[in-house]
Amino acid sequence: MENKPLIQFKNVSFRYNDKAPWVLDNVSFTIEEDEWVAIIGHNGSGKSTIAKLINGLLFPQKGEILISGKKVDEESVWEIRKEVGMVFQNPDNQFVGATVQDDVAFGMENRGIPREEMIKRIDETLKAVGMSDYRLTEPHRLSGGQKQRVAIASVLAISPKVLILDEATAMLDPNGRKEIMQTVSSILDERNFALITITHDLEEIVQADRVIVMNNGQVWDEAKPRDIFTKKEALREIGLDVPFVAILADELKQYGIPLPKEPLNHGELLEDLWTLHLRT
Amino acid sequence: MDITFKNVTYTYQPNTPFEHTALENMSFHVKSGSFVAIIGHTGSGKSTLLSHLNGLQVPTEGEVTIGDYRLSREHKPSDLKELRSKVGVVFQYPEHQLFEETVEKDIAFGPENFGVPESDIKKRIEKASRAVGLSPELLKRSPFELSGGQMRRVAIAGVLAVSPEVLVLDEPTAGLDPRGQKEMMDMFYQLHREEGLTTVLVTHSMEDALKYADYVIILNKGAKYMEGRPEEVFTQKEALQKVQLDVPEIVQFLTAFNQKFHTSIPFQKQSEKELARSIQQVLKGDEEK
Repeated sequence: MENKPLIQFKNVSFRYNDKAPWVLDNVSFTIEEDEWVAIIGHNGSGKSTIAKLINGLLFPQKGEILISGKKVDEESVWEIRKEVGMVFQNPDNQFVGATVQDDVAFGMENRGIPREEMIKRIDETLKAVGMSDYRLTEPHRLSGGQKQRVAIASVLAISPKVLILDEATAMLDPNGRKEIMQTVSSILDERNFALITITHDLEEIVQADRVIVMNNGQVWDEAKPRDIFTKKEALREIGLDVPFVAILADELKQYGIPLPKEPLNHGELLEDLWTLHLRT
Repeated sequence: MDITFKNVTYTYQPNTPFEHTALENMSFHVKSGSFVAIIGHTGSGKSTLLSHLNGLQVPTEGEVTIGDYRLSREHKPSDLKELRSKVGVVFQYPEHQLFEETVEKDIAFGPENFGVPESDIKKRIEKASRAVGLSPELLKRSPFELSGGQMRRVAIAGVLAVSPEVLVLDEPTAGLDPRGQKEMMDMFYQLHREEGLTTVLVTHSMEDALKYADYVIILNKGAKYMEGRPEEVFTQKEALQKVQLDVPEIVQFLTAFNQKFHTSIPFQKQSEKELARSIQQVLKGDEEK
């Protein structure tokens, strides 16, 4: 895979005012095109600030942020926002249209996309999120999960290079969460864009290509999910959760069962145990 | 306090085109001092059920008994104040209800309204803020300067300061980070034990229900779908999946393990450590063959 850097943070520091503590402290990382990166960390670790810096809702005091090689500043911000799509936590705070299709059209209208193209994209994106039957529905009649799917369609309609889900599943029930993540992974199979999920949900973390762990405004670790979950004690110390399967794997190792790798899900752990079972 | 629902039906806007039955012929009993989890997905009637517990709603049919209080259409007590001082409800996102100038005043609002003497209120504030882990120097601050997690603690302290006997919690950890969630649930559990409270927890988290509750009630479409001890209810995978609920992860894993290895390790609320030991014995059994 030949990957180009899409988002670059270079020694970025940010605080809300001169007297406030630094929310981000000398943060550097790169996210490549077509990559799925999960950003995790306790509340107040700086995760959401990163999202707001990427699309120029905030600007850093130190360092610089590049999107497709362009520096994010007050002049480039309107260009940048065409490339960065965001979906936030509260599904009720992001609707402007009177119907689902109006809502999807809104972002495109702002970008002067021709009517014919808009109709085509409304069809395509609502189909992608499985909401074609709700084109004329009023948004307030939708469930939380459906609302977030429409919000994702609205963002996809402007063909961003990166989609940021900022705790977009946090207020949903377990079914709503599943709906969203299934929708997102099926769209990822068909379209090319980078995905950043800012989350506490362990299942979302496991699905990502790479995880950036934030702690007190700094990058604490950056690795594949499998490698992150080998550091259980340290993760707990910075206020994060460890998946059940990782905890169980640890206990099994304590009992001298030689697991060949850190399992990411039930299936992997069962397979490894089965292999050991056959060998004996 | 004992809580009993006897054939309770609740209908919103009866005899209008908007008529909607949210609870249908619901009966159950919560023993005084127990910790009950109520589970069901969105629209299953959880919120309507909760609002019967302190008389915000009165059954359209049937009867609710809470301690000595009886609530039914025919029998609506004129004074619900005493009931409400005994049943503390922590609603979803309770920090949205903060309004006072200082943390201290906000916590004092409940007990003042319920006529707690001035001399006692200070003690109540101290005790409640200690219970939720708010440090004393925050008491003089504005609640709106605090972090989200701290604001929620202030709102909960306001409920505790009334010294309720029943504590009703409607998804109390929503929106907190994992550490915040665990701290909050551990805090409620400790209060439950130390104060001998009757606790009713509405949650989407099977893991929390398994960890903290001694009884579980599952709702579906306004009716009671299942009830029992967590280890009884959570092992019925198919029945739960019918109403779009999952079993806790440890039960999922154990079921899959038993199938694959043709074993029958029972689910007994064991810890990961205990489960690992059982698995080791299965594998070790192989070696001896």
